Amino acid sequence: MRLLILILLPFLAIFLQSTIFHSYSIKGTVPDLVLVFVVFYAMLSASNRSVGYGFACGLLEDLYMGRMIGINALAKALIGFIIKRFQGVVFKENIWVGIIAVVIGSLVNALILFVLSFTSFTVFHVDSHMFTRVFSQTLYNSLLAAPIYVIYYRIAYSDWMRKNR
Amino acid sequence: MVTLVLIIFLMHYSAANRSEVSALEKWLGDVYAPLQSGLTDIQAWTQSLGTGFADKNVLKQEMEKLQQKNHILFVENQQLKENKAEVERLRNLLAFKDENTAAFDMEAARVIARSASNWYQILTIDKGSTSGIEKGMAVVHPDGLVGRVERAGRYSSQVWLITDHELAVGAIIQETRETRGIVEGTGNDSIVRMINIPYYSQIEPGQQVVTSGLSYTYPKGILIGVVESIQKEENGLVQNAIVAPAVDFDKLEEVLVIKSFLPEGEVLIEGE
Repeated sequence: MRLLILILLPFLAIFLQSTIFHSYSIKGTVPDLVLVFVVFYAMLSASNRSVGYGFACGLLEDLYMGRMIGINALAKALIGFIIKRFQGVVFKENIWVGIIAVVIGSLVNALILFVLSFTSFTVFHVDSHMFTRVFSQTLYNSLLAAPIYVIYYRIAYSDWMRKNR
Repeated sequence: MVTLVLIIFLMHYSAANRSEVSALEKWLGDVYAPLQSGLTDIQAWTQSLGTGFADKNVLKQEMEKLQQKNHILFVENQQLKENKAEVERLRNLLAFKDENTAAFDMEAARVIARSASNWYQILTIDKGSTSGIEKGMAVVHPDGLVGRVERAGRYSSQVWLITDHELAVGAIIQETRETRGIVEGTGNDSIVRMINIPYYSQIEPGQQVVTSGLSYTYPKGILIGVVESIQKEENGLVQNAIVAPAVDFDKLEEVLVIKSFLPEGEVLIEGE
């Protein structure tokens, strides 16, 4: 059941990002829920599979988009790795920790995507619009991070989930 | 390390124009299509209700004066308005299709989803290979050029918009006909850029940019947008123009896919 939820989350995230969130975009920008889920998994999961989970979620995103396959897989795997490094030294009960992790994850994600785009000779136009998009997406991700973190945290530490682990 | 090298190779392979996409990608697109289509229907329905409730406040005063209209009739009325707007849009689409029947074989499609990422400018439409849609077909709207089909699943297709940084379209200035340039996306959905314009070109803000027809993808003369401003390159030999797209991509609900078209010369012969 736990595995099923973990698989369904990125599916649901892509579905929402491509449909309903376009009606509620901030400056034409939609949130990256896949990233939010990867960050929370890395923060709250006891297992050491955050790199693999990030990779799988990013790959799903890439396959759905059908372009530069692997770019999101690598970016999300690296974010899973980075966030996991801080897991033991942060106070996870504090909601601000979740929000700050998402802010860091969003900025790192944008930076990784930009750097990796060089490897395929497809460089995004670096202009004020790009910075606006990165900023808007970071803001949107962090706004959604708060309620999602509360729900994710409660589910992750619920007795029911512990039994299913 | 091997994984990293493989992924970078895969990224490089899938970044360029591929002749064929994998079965897994097509399958994934088809899995999402009915869900996205269903949600689009629900959104349209709730939007019509939302419009009804928004107008309700305005009409409330009238209702108090007249003390007649009941809520059900009002909601029905709003839904009819929504239907009317849809009929109007489809009529425009049909009129555009009829006007161009001699030149184009077109397929109407509904927009069911947009890009799941902020880095790409793409749309998903509800028609795929079962409706004759293929990769590389041009996608238009009565307002102008929308983009190109890049992935055709069985029941859905992915369209790259002209605002996407990967897409480039051959273009000319409609008024002067003299300037041949390339319109490329910038990743920003409100502007595209026309590049490689010779320094001597008589290009001015307000002029219309249309497709040049110098490709097998886009027919000639489809409106791309209007020149907003001109920037001279440092070398002084060429200039670039910032072009505002004719299509409002945020409000696109229906599009037309050009399945085939006759080159301009052949249309003229037929017309004669």
